[in-house]
Amino acid sequence: MEREVLQVGLEAAIKIALFLFVMLTTVAYMTWVERRVSAWIQDRRGPNRVGPFGLLQPLADGVKFLFKETIVPPFVYKPVYVLAPALIFVPALVTFSVVPFGPTLHAFGRDIRLQIADVDNGILIVLAFASMGVYGVALAGWSSNNKYSLMGGLRSSAQLISYELAMGVAVIGVLMATGSLRLGDVVAHQEAYGWNVLWQLPGFLIFLVAAFAETNRLPFDLPEADSELVAGYHTEYSGMWFSMFYMAEYANMITASALIVTLYFGGYNVPGLRLLGLPEPVAVATQVIAFGLKVAFFLFLYVWVRWTIPRFRYDQLMNLGWKVLLPIGLGHVLWVSFLVLRGWA
Amino acid sequence: MHLLTGFILALLVSALLRATIPERPLLAAILPAVAAAGLLAFFASELLSMEFWAGGVGFVAILSALLVVMHPNPMVSVLFLILHLFCIALFYLMLQAQALAALQVIVYAGAIMVLFVFVIMLLNLRAEEGLRLGGGVQRIGALSVGALFAGLMFWAIRNRRDHPFFAPDALVEGFGTARQLGWLLYGKYLFAFEAASILLLAAMVGAVVLAKRRLQ
Repeated sequence: MEREVLQVGLEAAIKIALFLFVMLTTVAYMTWVERRVSAWIQDRRGPNRVGPFGLLQPLADGVKFLFKETIVPPFVYKPVYVLAPALIFVPALVTFSVVPFGPTLHAFGRDIRLQIADVDNGILIVLAFASMGVYGVALAGWSSNNKYSLMGGLRSSAQLISYELAMGVAVIGVLMATGSLRLGDVVAHQEAYGWNVLWQLPGFLIFLVAAFAETNRLPFDLPEADSELVAGYHTEYSGMWFSMFYMAEYANMITASALIVTLYFGGYNVPGLRLLGLPEPVAVATQVIAFGLKVAFFLFLYVWVRWTIPRFRYDQLMNLGWKVLLPIGLGHVLWVSFLVLRGWA
Repeated sequence: MHLLTGFILALLVSALLRATIPERPLLAAILPAVAAAGLLAFFASELLSMEFWAGGVGFVAILSALLVVMHPNPMVSVLFLILHLFCIALFYLMLQAQALAALQVIVYAGAIMVLFVFVIMLLNLRAEEGLRLGGGVQRIGALSVGALFAGLMFWAIRNRRDHPFFAPDALVEGFGTARQLGWLLYGKYLFAFEAASILLLAAMVGAVVLAKRRLQ
């Protein structure tokens, strides 16, 4: 009993450590990717001085942020002000724990599931922690005691609530097709019957738009809208605490991309891989890499959209959420349930 | 239970030290930390027991519930309420009701509490306006109702059937999954469920009518 508990604990600890390493490295390099891709889109060069192609730029940035003075303005409410950056960062990391990033690996005499927590209610956990993300932004805005920050926090709480609804409705389609809330089952179902995006296109588009809104990315970055609100909810933050918000934004993007891939693009599944008859370790590695590449594409999409589409006005944002996405989502649910009832899905 | 009791005692000692000798904050941090490390060395096997975790979550739940009422700042009260609701979700999880735990976080901690935060931000409540204690009658009423409730709880715990606290074998197959919950809601309790949804719809229509003074 004790031995088994130790084994399971060790396996989980190794997976968590690996995940944190990959996640945080990706977060750091997303800052570089964002600046290089934006430069490429705008026909500039971007950061290319530190290391080859500027690849060491994230390191230099990190050192700079660590050595900057962290100024806490005298008028903030300090307990909440300090808590807010962590509150926005943690849900992004926790959500990823239920996402499978590879199939089961048979090694060391054990079946190692390439997923941190294989829970029954994966989709519900995802939705639960997606709704936690709002507190970081709202509380950062409130505790800063600054009207621009407060406006940013207010906007964010309204925006996140509105788009969570659309997101949940979109997910119902996937859920009905799979008949299970476990994300591993969602991937297995897509492996057997084809990727969900092929016949749930409206659901996928709604989820994509909602994911942009949930991560506060352009064209929905109204909580920070620099042209109106200085920097919105993180106006009063500096040094490493400020960079926590940035890291949280990229961590959220990575988690959202992984979710899109898992729910609609077959997760780690590679079509036709079984036909090749590769040895197991190679096949597993291919699938993990495929998952990474799919996520990378959506991360690129995030950057691409940011430098292509201008920011929405606030009323446009609300109209889109409530009057366009939600009705389409409900119609989509009806359509999918019709297909499922007829046994066509 | 030694580990948990020890931890709580260490925490209390730390709070007392901080209150009595505020000029030496290091003492208030080091002494309980040493005590906690010693406890951990002696009773490490209790870390795997359900009682330890259930008791720990219960302690945090009660502490946060107290702070909801007693903290002068309304926003901090809301934060502690969220923490409290999380503890309740953890309790559901420990009782194997996983779907219910996730729903608790989505609905209460996620959606309803965001509205609380939103309203407090909109009204811009400040700390000094937050705590306004009622007069003598209110206090006596609150104390007597509280005492009644405590007595009831005590009576219920004394007379509980002698189940072990945690008995996963006694549950039906698939207990606590969303599938089981769905069968119950849309099968056995369909009428009650639909009646509740009509009630909610009526409340929503009423709220819209009240909020919109003039209906065009």
